[in-house]
Amino acid sequence: MERPEWAPADVDLSRPSVARAYDYWLGGSHNFEVDREFARQALAAVPDLRLVARANREFLHRAVRFMLDEGIRQFLDIGSGIPTVGNVHEIAQQVDPHSRVAYVDIDPVAVTHSTHILAGQPNAVALLEDLRHPEAILDHPEVRRLLDLDRPVGLLLVSVVHAVPDHDDPYGLIRRLWTALAPGSCVAISHVTTDSRPDEMGEGARLSGRTNTPVTARTRAQVEDFFTGLDLVEPGVVWSPLWRPESEADVGEHPERMSFYVGVGRRR
Amino acid sequence: MNDRPAADGADDRPAADGRGVGEFVTAWATALHRAHYVPISAEQRHRIVTGLADRVVTAVLAGPGGPGEGRRIGADLVAAGFGSPEALGGTIAVLTSRLLGDLGVAADPTRTARLNDLLAELATGFTSAAHDHSLRAQDTVRLAALAARTQAEEALRVSEVRFRRFATHDQLTGLPNLTLLTEQLGRLSTAEAPTDRVGVCCLDVDDFAAVNDVLGYQVGDLLLREIAARLGALADGRFDLVARLDSDRFAILVRDTTCAGDVVKIADRALAVLAAPFRVNGTEVPLTVSAGVAEGTVADGGAARLMRAGEIALHWAKADGKATLRLFDQDRSNADAERYRLSAAMPAALRRGEFTAAYQPVTALRSGRLAGVEALARWRHPQLGLLSAARFIELAERTGLVVALGSQLLEQACRQASRWQRIQPGLYVSVNVSVRQLHRTGLAGEVAQILDRTGLPPHLLHLEITEQAVIDLTGVVTQTLAALMQLGVRIVIDDFGVGYANLANLRSLPLYGLKLDASLTRPSAQPARWPGARRPGTDDDFLGTVVSLGHRLGLVVTAEGIETAQQAHRLTAAGCDNGQGWHFGRPVPPDEITAGIVAQQHREAVPPGPELPVIPVQRR
Repeated sequence: MERPEWAPADVDLSRPSVARAYDYWLGGSHNFEVDREFARQALAAVPDLRLVARANREFLHRAVRFMLDEGIRQFLDIGSGIPTVGNVHEIAQQVDPHSRVAYVDIDPVAVTHSTHILAGQPNAVALLEDLRHPEAILDHPEVRRLLDLDRPVGLLLVSVVHAVPDHDDPYGLIRRLWTALAPGSCVAISHVTTDSRPDEMGEGARLSGRTNTPVTARTRAQVEDFFTGLDLVEPGVVWSPLWRPESEADVGEHPERMSFYVGVGRRR
Repeated sequence: MNDRPAADGADDRPAADGRGVGEFVTAWATALHRAHYVPISAEQRHRIVTGLADRVVTAVLAGPGGPGEGRRIGADLVAAGFGSPEALGGTIAVLTSRLLGDLGVAADPTRTARLNDLLAELATGFTSAAHDHSLRAQDTVRLAALAARTQAEEALRVSEVRFRRFATHDQLTGLPNLTLLTEQLGRLSTAEAPTDRVGVCCLDVDDFAAVNDVLGYQVGDLLLREIAARLGALADGRFDLVARLDSDRFAILVRDTTCAGDVVKIADRALAVLAAPFRVNGTEVPLTVSAGVAEGTVADGGAARLMRAGEIALHWAKADGKATLRLFDQDRSNADAERYRLSAAMPAALRRGEFTAAYQPVTALRSGRLAGVEALARWRHPQLGLLSAARFIELAERTGLVVALGSQLLEQACRQASRWQRIQPGLYVSVNVSVRQLHRTGLAGEVAQILDRTGLPPHLLHLEITEQAVIDLTGVVTQTLAALMQLGVRIVIDDFGVGYANLANLRSLPLYGLKLDASLTRPSAQPARWPGARRPGTDDDFLGTVVSLGHRLGLVVTAEGIETAQQAHRLTAAGCDNGQGWHFGRPVPPDEITAGIVAQQHREAVPPGPELPVIPVQRR
C-alpha cells in the first residue's frame, strides 16, 4: 500500500536498501550489514555486479559531462542514492563552480547523509521525495529556489526508473517531469534489463523484492519508449559502456553483460 | 594531503630514463583503473599516479625520504580514491614485477630490500587508511540513519499531532469535540487519577434551528464561533475544557469540584456571557441558552453517568421553559424514568386488559341513598400492583393512549352499570372524558354504540368533562357535546371552581350538572376575613353561592372529597344534591358496590332490628 502523502517516510533499518547496497557494490562503506547481506546475495547471483554498478556509474559521469558540454549548468538528480566519490555537483562544479544540483531520493538515510555531505554547499541540496510524485518534486520550494526551470536542466534518472512498477505509470511520470522543463533540457536514463542475462539478472531482480524498491526489468524497446517525444542523442539507447565511451579500453569485451540500457534525450 | 616534496633525487636515479618511469606510470595507472573506478579523467589519473610513482622511485633508488614515506604513499593512494582491495593488489603486482625493470636498474640487494620495505609499508599505510576511511564512512552513515530516524519520528509526531487535533477538535470553532471530552472524562474516572469529583455543564442554544432557517447557515456558523469564543474565554485553570458537542450544543468540564454549587456558579457565568447581545453583520441576533448541570464522583465509570446526567438536566431546562439552568436531581430523574417506563408499558398493558375500573359511590345527600357511581381508571400492574389514575392518566394524555384507554373504560363502566340496573334501577355511572377524546370526531357515535351494546339507558351515563375542556369551544367539541346531549347522555362539569370557568361557554352548553372540586368542600386554609375587606366572606358563603348558582341554572350539584360526617352535614345544609368521598365510600371493585346495593336494599326492606348477616364481598 502506498503511504499517504502526509505520512512521514519509514526508516526501517532492518530492511536492505538498494541505495546502500549500490554503495557497497561500488566499494563504499556507507552501508549496514543488512544491506551487505543483500548485496552479497545479489553478487552470488550476478558475480560481476560490481562491474555492472561501476559501468552504470561511469555512464552517469559521462552523461553529466555531455550535458555540461551542452551548456547545462543545473541538474535534477532523482534516485541519487548514497553520495560516493564523484557526485554530480563535484563533477559539474569542476567545470563551472556555479553549477547547481538538486538531489532527490526516496531513502531517508541517503537523503540525510547527502544533506550532511552538502553542508556549506549553497548550490546543492538533497530532498526526500518519490519519483512517483513528479509535481511534488518540481514544486518543492528547495527545487524552485535552486533551479530555474525556464532554463535548461539536466534531468538524471540513473538506475531509478526500474524501481517504478508498470501500475504506477512510469511513462506518464517521466513525461510529466520533462514536459515541465525548458527546451534544451536533457534527460539521462539508465535502466536494468534481463535481455542479455535472463537467468542471472532475473535472479537479481527477484532478490530486489526484499528491498524497499523492487526492480522491474524492461526490454530495449520499452526503455526506448521512455524517450518518446524527446530527441534521442547519439548513439541512442545502448548498453551502458557503449554510450560515448572515452576510450576503447573502457568498453570491455562484453558490454551487453553490463545489463543496463542507457540513453540521453533532449527536449525540443 | 601529504604533498611531501620529492626527495632531492641527486644520487643514483637514472638520469635520462624518463621513458622508463613513464611506462611504469602507465602500467600502474591502468592497473588501478581496472581495479577501481574513480570518476576522473585519464589525464587526472595519470597525473596522480605520476606523483606517486616519483615518490616510489625516489624511495627505492635513493632510500626513503624519511620514516613512514611508504605508509604515506599507501594512504595517499586511498585518499585519491583507489581504496579497493583490487587497487592494492594491482599496485603490489606492478611494483614488484615492473618497477626495477622499467627503470632499467639492477635488482641489487639494497634496492630489492628497499622495495620490499616500501611495499610492506605501503600495504600497511594503505590498509590502515582504507580501514579509517571505512570507519569514517560507517560513522557518517550511522549518523545519517540516526538523523533520518529522528526526522521520521519528528515528522510522524507532527502528523500524528495534526491528525489527533483533527480527530479531537471541532473544525468550525476550534474547540475540543465530544471525542476529547469523553476521553478526558474517561481519564478522570480511571482509578489512578487523583480527581474524584467532577462537574459537567451542558449548554444548548434555544431554538437555534430557527436562526439557521431564517438567517442562513453562514450567520448560524458565525454565531456558533462567537459563542465558542465567549465560552472559551471563560476557561481558567479549573476548567478541563470547553467543548462543542455538536451543532448548537456545548459542554464545560470542571475538575476537582467540592459540590454542585461550584459548577452552578460556572454555568451561571456561562449563561451570563452568552446573555450579552450577539451581533452579526451589524444586526443584533437575540439568543437564549439553556444549561444542564451535573456534579459528582467519577470513579468506576461515573463519568459517563455524569455526562448523561448533565444532558438530562439540560433537557429539564428546556422542558421548564428554556433560557434557564437546571441542576441534575436523582429523585426527579428517577421519577422521570419511572414515568417513562410506565408510559412505555402502557400500550401492551392496554392490550392485555390490565386497565380496569374502580367505582366510587355517589350518594344523594338528602336521602342518603346511593344515586350513582363514578368509574375511575385503575391499572393492575404486574409488578407495581394496583395503580391509581393519578399515576398514569397524564402520561396517557401525553401519548394519546388516553383515547383507547377511555373507550375501554367507558365500555366496562356502561356494561357494569347496565348490570346494576337489575338490582337498582336508575343507578347512574359517571365516566371521565379527556380533552383529547372530546376533540376527536366520532366520540358521540362511539358512545351510542357502547350504549347499544351494553343496553344502558343514555340518561344513566354521566360524562364528566373539565372546565378546561370547554374553555375553547371549537366546532368539534360543540358538535360532540350536542350529539351526546341528543343521545340523552348527561354532561357534567368536573372539578368546578378551581379552573378557568368560561361562564359564557357554560351558558351555551347543554349541561346536566356541576361537580364541585374537593377544595371547596374542605375548610379554606387562609382565614376568610381580610383586614379592610368590606364584607366577610365565609367558606359557607362561597359554598352556598356556588350551589345556588348551579341550582339557578337548573343544574344538579355534586360535591367531591367529603371525608367526614361534619363535611357531609355542611354540604347538605348548603343545599348540595349529591356527595362523594371517603365518608360515603372509597373507589372499590364493582362487586363491593353490588354488595353495598344489596345491603342498602335489606336495610330499606326490613324495619330496624337485629343486624343482618354480612354478605360476603367477592373480590376478583
